[in-house]
Amino acid sequence: MSLGLDLSYLERSARGEFDLGWLKETSSEWGMRAVPSKTGLTMRDIAIGSYGVVPDHAPRRTMAPRGSDVASDVPDMGYTINDKSEVWADNVLDLYEEAVSRQWSATRDIPWGDLRPLDPDVEHAMCQLATVLSEVEMVAADFPAKWLWRINHDFIEAKMFLCTQVMDEARHTEVFRKRALANGGGLGKATAVVERFLQLILDAESYDEGSALMHLLGEGIVLSLFRAGAALAPSPVEQQIFRLCMQDEARHVAYGTMHLRYRLERDPSVAEDFHAYLDKGEEIIAMIFSTPEIVEPTAILAAGSVEAACAMGAEAGDVLRRQIIGDYLKRCDHAGLDRRGRLHLPDALIAGVPGAQVEVAV
Amino acid sequence: MSAITESFPSSAWFDDLVARAQVDTTAMERLGVAELRFGMEIVLPDGSRPFFGLVLDGYDIDAIGPITESEFAPEVVFSGALDAWVEMIGWIEANGPADSAHSLNGLTIAGVPFEARSSDAMGSDKFYRFMGTLQAVFDAAWSELPVPAGRG
Repeated sequence: MSLGLDLSYLERSARGEFDLGWLKETSSEWGMRAVPSKTGLTMRDIAIGSYGVVPDHAPRRTMAPRGSDVASDVPDMGYTINDKSEVWADNVLDLYEEAVSRQWSATRDIPWGDLRPLDPDVEHAMCQLATVLSEVEMVAADFPAKWLWRINHDFIEAKMFLCTQVMDEARHTEVFRKRALANGGGLGKATAVVERFLQLILDAESYDEGSALMHLLGEGIVLSLFRAGAALAPSPVEQQIFRLCMQDEARHVAYGTMHLRYRLERDPSVAEDFHAYLDKGEEIIAMIFSTPEIVEPTAILAAGSVEAACAMGAEAGDVLRRQIIGDYLKRCDHAGLDRRGRLHLPDALIAGVPGAQVEVAV
Repeated sequence: MSAITESFPSSAWFDDLVARAQVDTTAMERLGVAELRFGMEIVLPDGSRPFFGLVLDGYDIDAIGPITESEFAPEVVFSGALDAWVEMIGWIEANGPADSAHSLNGLTIAGVPFEARSSDAMGSDKFYRFMGTLQAVFDAAWSELPVPAGRG
């Protein structure tokens, strides 16, 4: 492939005969000046003039910065996601800024030195939960990474946000791996059920499908696990780990919810497609509540020991179950997708969740 | 800062809390930007419900109130009985930054003794997104933290 090297230009420019076409033939908005807001120069601050206009359909498939003067002979990069509604969310600029501002370090920001020996039951439970979380978090990096290069550059803010997610998830994988290894317990068991869910996300045939399964459903579940982990933390170390991860995960879920809302507002006809994705995905919720490697460590952390967890039975996990399903329904509702009455979950799992069952008018 | 039993809930109490939280600006900025209208409701034994607000705006934090919930237009409301508030804040004052059982997250996860209510999913998800900042504000009730000049 010829890159189009112009040898004669080397000679002309050496003589000082510059081309200056880039300077003369420009349609840039000279004089348009972005003004920093009080936290600095944000992405929203630079969304000004034509630079802030994100096209509903990208006119080209290039890496040219949106708003730049694009040469007519730029190559086609072959992007497959060229409609804004496929990736956009109205909160994506703010979420990007938030993500960059609220980054943290699993090495520096966790008080690892405060770890203390735990009851063996609790240490085993924490290590098993850390194993599962270290396993599942990386899919939320793999999935955006798989789709990033297919997303048109005109939607750069959405791509940038997804890049922050990739970094967030790398850090989550890191921090849970570190926790498993930091207090003498070590890694626990990886299961086929979890791996099948990860495969479902990774093999999604469209960004729509994968985003619904991951941002909305999967990360919503993990967000609830993080909340539970922070609430049940046996020491300030775990409390800090789960709190920081919770903040990150809630950003991803907020993107997923608002992305789905944006998508449905522009094309309500795709609602049935999303229902179908979630019909399939919700079976995962049922499977998770049938997976000992997830249910039992959480119950032991809640109860304090294996014996106490056995005595409590399902009660130990009820708060988590109600929160996962309740929050999920609220997010679907906010996105404009009413899943009430359509949930693909056994009655035993939706019992006690407000609004999960359709009320029959008397 | 005044003792919790003498002045809580009051605008002076929340103002002092926020002032304390903002003493270490580096620490607050390290937590990152936050955008949230956080409502706080105290359910008194007589059934009245004084309402206050915290506004997180970038790195700035402001306490507002007493104010009505509708005037404040919160994105999420942290609501509990006076006894629960006193227990939470008293524990922090005596022991330092909240442990998991006395944290905003731990106290709301089961819906008791505190409720975190929001009219939509974005409000509750913002509660989770800015939990570290919110907790840092309440952890400033710890009495060993330096009291800002001119207050206390």
